[in-house]
Amino acid sequence: MKKLGKQDLLLMYRNLVRTRKFDELNIRMATEGKLLTFYHSCQGHEAIGVGACTGLRKDDYLYPHHRGHGLSYAIAKGVNPRECIAEHLGRATGWGGGITGFHTCVPEFGILGVGATIGSGFVLSVGFALAAKKRGEGQITIMFTGDGGIQRGQFHEAANMASVWKLPVVWVVENNQMAWFTPYRDTSAVEDIATLAASYNMPGEIVDGMDVLAVHTAVQKAVERARSGEGPSLIECKTYRYRSHSEGRPDVSHYLPRSKEEIAKWKERDPVKLFEEKLLKEKVLTKALIQKISQECDAEAEEAETFGFESPFPDPSNLSKMVYAP
Amino acid sequence: MKELSYWNAISEAIAEEMKRDETVFVIGENVQESPFLVTKGLVQQFGPDRVMDAPLSELAIAGATVGAAMAGYRPICDLTFADFIYCAADEVLMKAAQQYFSHNAKVNVPCVFLGVAGAGFGNGPEHSRIPAAMVMNNPGLKLVMPSTPYDAKGLMKAAIRDNNPVCFFFHKKCMPMKQEIPDEEYIIPLGVADVKRVGSDVTVVATSYMVHLALEAAKNLEDIISVEVIDLRSLVPLDIDAIITSVKKTGRVVVVDEDTECCGVAAEIGQQIMERAFDYLDAPVARVCAANMPIAGAAMEKYVIPQLAQVQNAIEAAAGSGFSA
Ligand SMILES: Cc1ncc(C[n+]2csc(CCOP(=O)(O)OP(=O)(O)O)c2C)c(N)n1
Repeated sequence: MKKLGKQDLLLMYRNLVRTRKFDELNIRMATEGKLLTFYHSCQGHEAIGVGACTGLRKDDYLYPHHRGHGLSYAIAKGVNPRECIAEHLGRATGWGGGITGFHTCVPEFGILGVGATIGSGFVLSVGFALAAKKRGEGQITIMFTGDGGIQRGQFHEAANMASVWKLPVVWVVENNQMAWFTPYRDTSAVEDIATLAASYNMPGEIVDGMDVLAVHTAVQKAVERARSGEGPSLIECKTYRYRSHSEGRPDVSHYLPRSKEEIAKWKERDPVKLFEEKLLKEKVLTKALIQKISQECDAEAEEAETFGFESPFPDPSNLSKMVYAP
Repeated sequence: MKELSYWNAISEAIAEEMKRDETVFVIGENVQESPFLVTKGLVQQFGPDRVMDAPLSELAIAGATVGAAMAGYRPICDLTFADFIYCAADEVLMKAAQQYFSHNAKVNVPCVFLGVAGAGFGNGPEHSRIPAAMVMNNPGLKLVMPSTPYDAKGLMKAAIRDNNPVCFFFHKKCMPMKQEIPDEEYIIPLGVADVKRVGSDVTVVATSYMVHLALEAAKNLEDIISVEVIDLRSLVPLDIDAIITSVKKTGRVVVVDEDTECCGVAAEIGQQIMERAFDYLDAPVARVCAANMPIAGAAMEKYVIPQLAQVQNAIEAAAGSGFSA
């Protein structure tokens, strides 16, 4: 495994901050009624996308989780996140061309698209991995999902098929212990999702999802396994959803308010702060540099907002021409 | 009388039926809090064994619904978005719809598939459908698409008591609508259309939110055209007699449907009108439907989904046109 140098660590830190700032921008725009559709905040989850997607090849395939609508994954892979903001404003410069208002699609970075039915990415990622294996150029696929997504039958069919065919795919589960209003503990027969991997004869690992380096290390190991033709892996990242399922929805567990103490407890191990403290201690970061990065990310978010608002809407006369490829 | 909103009328119907019949229960994702409110408050009344927050597993939720229905219960399966019927297609379209028939009418499947449906919020191609034609095209399923709180309540009670699987699609845009609801119990049988506005020049046939577009168009045109608006309320069974009666009076008809045009609800209704009342028609049957494309989201949605102006134009065109000799 490639050892991370100081520049890599700084880039990871910056990408965590960028993800957080762009998430905050999305939330603000949602609150101001500017977003044309819904928004699922990724606060609490940032380390997973950033940790997993750092160091991938540009042509590796990614299937993002819906939290942040692709932000952390795309940012770590090198995509300009202003495309996310433009998409949310329904503009032609968005990463789905403004057609849906939230779908992520950046094929030149290996993001071929997402669905809006949770868990459907399992079977698609099998197809991406199958194509990669046929092509034989060493590409891998990472699909991200939640603890809810894993409960769909798709997971089991995909896991078996990928394991039998030794396909180069890594499934990263972001277990934030909630699926919309329903707590994981009341809908799962197992305590740890990673244990499901054994049924399909693949490695399953539990990782601290608030620790960007832990995520990175675990995913890199699985990526290497996939690249070398040994087949799929399942990685469960334990994390937490800071906000309600989507902006404007009640924040309940079943039908009672979620525990404020529990949220506060998880926030003490905030993935951005945690990494910041570590890098400060190791003298990779300084207080001054933290401030500089924060200001630069604020400026980038501000520019992205302007970019979004100044971008044109799609041309509706194109819609009927896009139903079938020529 | 009391004023109830659309969603509250639905939840009240469910509560009344759960009280009346122990075999009725609700199963689905997040039904205890209920993102679209139609099962909100039920868990406090009936407990978590009858208002079951299920895993994120549409196949198992729908399949368990069908199985429990075959085994003597009357489950209400909340699909959340009606679009997710595609995730549970085998269970709904093949099992629920066909088990009764394929086993020589020995075992029936009394259940309700509940789903919030329709466009209006720019939610994109997988959260905006009202998959009416697909349901209609699968014999064995009934299909209810209410437009008002009053209808929603009476139709929901009939759906729960029906001995068949009933898809009950309620519309996002109707959610805040309010109406006076009688205190006494009432049931609206499936398959009985309601004339929501009486007129003599042009008949508009619609369901769900499209009824409101039709009524608005009719109002805007009232000085020049007398429009009759027929709310079908259920598409299966289809009250074709109500349509024919109106068409015989007006001779001109526009069918408005929010689902995709191709092989759609309007195509079926138009054909049935031609078969039953061709000689009474003074103009071709017109239709206003969703364009033949996936439902775009955000700012593009309005270019796919029927808009008021299209309905109005179609009514005017129908009123002014005729067959050339
Ligand atoms: C097939 C399907 N079922 C239900 C939904 C509605 N839905 C959207 S997100 C969500 C919860 C997903 O939970 P999880 O996978 O744990 O991810 P989280 O949102 O907690 O990050 C649900 C139920 C959906 N979009 N698709």
